[in-house]
Amino acid sequence: MKIDVGLLINGTEARFEVEPDERLVDTLREKAGMTGTKIGCGMGECGACSVLMNGKLVPSCLVLTASADGAEIVTVEGLAADGRLSDLQQAFVEEGAIQCGYCTPGMLMAGEYLLSRYKRPTTDQIRNGIAGNLCRCTGYAKIVSAIRKTARKRAVKRSGR
Amino acid sequence: MKIVGKRVERIDAEAKATGRMIYPSDRRLDGMLWVEVVRSAHPHARILSIDTRQAEAVDGVVRVLTARDVPGENAFGIQIQDMPVLCFDRVRYEGDAIALIGAENRQAAREAAALVQVEYEVLEPLTDPDEAMRPGAVALHPDGNILHEGHFNKGDIAEGFARSSVIFENTYEVPMMDHAYLETEAGISYYGEDGTLTVESCGQYIYRDQTQIARALGLSLGEVRVTAPYVGGAFGGKDEITVQIYLALMTYHTRRPAKMVATREESIISHTKRHPARMRFKTGASKSGKLMAVEAYIVSDTGAYASLGGPVLNLMMEHAAGPYLVPNVKVDAYAVYTNNGFSGAFRGFGCTQVCVAIESQMDLMARALKRDRLAFRQDNILHQGDMAGLDYEMKLVVGAEDTIRAARKGKLWRKRKSNRKIPSRVSPSVARHRKRGIGVASQMQGLGLGVGIPDYAEVEVELTRDGKAIAKASTNEIGQGAYTAYAQMTAERLGIDLEQVEIIGADTGVTPDSGTTTASRTTYAVGNAILMTVDKLEKRLAERAGEKTGRLRGGVLCCPSRQVPLGELIDGPSITVRATFHIPVQDREMGDGLPHLLYSYGTHVVLVEVDTLTGEISVEAIEAYLDGGRVIFRTGFEGQSEGGIAQGIGYALFEEVLLNEGHFENTNFNTYIIPSSMDVPVKIKTVPVQVKEASGPYGAKGISETCMVGVTPAILNALQDAIGVRFLRIPVRAEDVLDALEVDEK
Repeated sequence: MKIDVGLLINGTEARFEVEPDERLVDTLREKAGMTGTKIGCGMGECGACSVLMNGKLVPSCLVLTASADGAEIVTVEGLAADGRLSDLQQAFVEEGAIQCGYCTPGMLMAGEYLLSRYKRPTTDQIRNGIAGNLCRCTGYAKIVSAIRKTARKRAVKRSGR
Repeated sequence: MKIVGKRVERIDAEAKATGRMIYPSDRRLDGMLWVEVVRSAHPHARILSIDTRQAEAVDGVVRVLTARDVPGENAFGIQIQDMPVLCFDRVRYEGDAIALIGAENRQAAREAAALVQVEYEVLEPLTDPDEAMRPGAVALHPDGNILHEGHFNKGDIAEGFARSSVIFENTYEVPMMDHAYLETEAGISYYGEDGTLTVESCGQYIYRDQTQIARALGLSLGEVRVTAPYVGGAFGGKDEITVQIYLALMTYHTRRPAKMVATREESIISHTKRHPARMRFKTGASKSGKLMAVEAYIVSDTGAYASLGGPVLNLMMEHAAGPYLVPNVKVDAYAVYTNNGFSGAFRGFGCTQVCVAIESQMDLMARALKRDRLAFRQDNILHQGDMAGLDYEMKLVVGAEDTIRAARKGKLWRKRKSNRKIPSRVSPSVARHRKRGIGVASQMQGLGLGVGIPDYAEVEVELTRDGKAIAKASTNEIGQGAYTAYAQMTAERLGIDLEQVEIIGADTGVTPDSGTTTASRTTYAVGNAILMTVDKLEKRLAERAGEKTGRLRGGVLCCPSRQVPLGELIDGPSITVRATFHIPVQDREMGDGLPHLLYSYGTHVVLVEVDTLTGEISVEAIEAYLDGGRVIFRTGFEGQSEGGIAQGIGYALFEEVLLNEGHFENTNFNTYIIPSSMDVPVKIKTVPVQVKEASGPYGAKGISETCMVGVTPAILNALQDAIGVRFLRIPVRAEDVLDALEVDEK
């Protein structure tokens, strides 16, 4: 039995015929061709598959696509606009927060989510906010600084208005 | 230096930040089959029969392969080919492969894999290496269960202990550790337009993978192409063959593209691990604080197959006495086959294990002698010209003491008295249960594969008429930042901008053989080869210009009397030159890859806090003083160090692959716990101690292993400083702390 599902992925509407047990991460990677979202464990432990679903951070390996009908999804491919890196992506590049890069897409989504919750996150709030995203290369220090730097920049931007 | 040593942005960072980077697990091709592996249900058994009929009947299944479908040699292994591609008579660990399913989709492949009927005669698993070594033990391989052993003597060990006033003897146990790279083993295979069987995968040495694939398939090297430029982490765990031969076999038999991605569970069960080891160390020092004797007896559990178990044992022996001058050394070591998974390369490669033992012993002796722990190490440190632990000369510059001196100046050590106090912001009722301690550890780590093993890097540099450069090397970018370092060195040497350099990596069809992406070697070896190619280029271009010499600067050949634009010297679009650099080695071979000529050095200082009520251990701050020669890629250098620190914390406090009678018990991240952002301190400082290595490119060596090795013993030493307990087994968990404190009270 196939189920017809509509998703708004990075601002673009898309429809998929999915099996009832198809995972959102597989729909994104296999059907939408968006391989930026990664799979690290398949059980919601590592965060490599993190995406924003209706503004909330979710591990897309634990979401059934059929249950996401009508949802708004943001993946790493949706962060850069008009070929320009987002401020958070830029900070990851500048701070050296990327090594093998496999955790990076999920880490960026976790970063975006925590920045949507905290205007000026403390270092501990940042560490907590990415605690569900494992990285084996960086030791997290430069990821934390990249998020902190972005928070600062956004605060300056807001106050400038 | 304009570019070398600077905090440049990684050349691959943007592709990775946008999700555009294509990793092996991301590749897909039209008409590809999904490959699933049927693995052994038992750690040790005889296979009586294999029935694939039910699996073949599953809708969507195209092909089921077993041992009889391996057209070449049904065996692989980096050093000794003792591991079957597909088992047919016996299985020796739970990850052993028995059959391969190729199906139109992954679901069908999985369904079929579960339907392959294997009849076993279950055998008692050999799980204790000591028992496996005993005469009369069931032999896992024709030559018995001792894969490799080594025995070394320097001086007179009995005399050494006779002259010692403090002697400690302890047995240390270190666990099996998983690399836990975020991308599991993955790849695709297909027949290229020219008919070559192509495997795009994740291996750390594509030319060796090519050999191993060709051997198993009975093909010539030219019929196989392997690529692996960008990989989602490796740390040694993708050095041995993982998915490559399976993929090649499926494409060979079906003529169709094939894809395989290991699940995390499959990854943890099947790929090589860090060797668990039991290490009895007896060490002695004189009253005046001179190291007199180090005696080590090491049993390394290599598991079911050899992989690099022999060389790892050799490095354990080589580094057993640490970076110290010890007159009397005796080392006896064994690598033993068991049915406990299988082990191989992992960051540190044997040094990681023995460093836990020797640095713990160093601390015990310093304390017994009432000596300053850094000073005790410094007083015994190796210098250039000294005879190392196994009695060979340290011929090149030794930066070990420099790292200790630098550590002494750091805030953690200098203010160790106040650092050990619980901060006043903590309420007294809480502070009463908290204890802090400072620990240090020093180490050295061999660079390159060591004497006796071919260890070279060939690279190609293409220079275009408009002054751009393309450097081609077969080593891969596994996260360490090597491609950025290559680009920096190329740009610096040619006097061009970083943006004018392109790196093409890891494709046997395009890039020459630059050796393994292991052993802290790529920046050093590939960097040197790049510099050699530019020397050659300059010579060739100077000849064309009719000049004696010329130096390339920003697209112009600068000759003594004139400057010639490249457009006048290059006829076609570009000029291409290759060069090969051979890593220098010791003149005396003591074993496979033993010893090394080049080493990196490091000293770590750690502050830990222990909650004596809960047993919880928190690493509060770490300083890393690393000598990998001149730093090329500063941000990458720090990143490596920070990542090594996280892995060292994991090894000390969390990580252990649990085996129960050969069965893997924790096979995903819910039970195999690696450090999260909450487990690594905010206060991390990495200080480059740049003792220039004359043979290195711009004076560089490498730090990708030394950055981790000392972290674990420094934590153990800090624990002793905090609560007075010497832990001999890692990982040390909260319950171990509570148990130890309870014993202490009684």
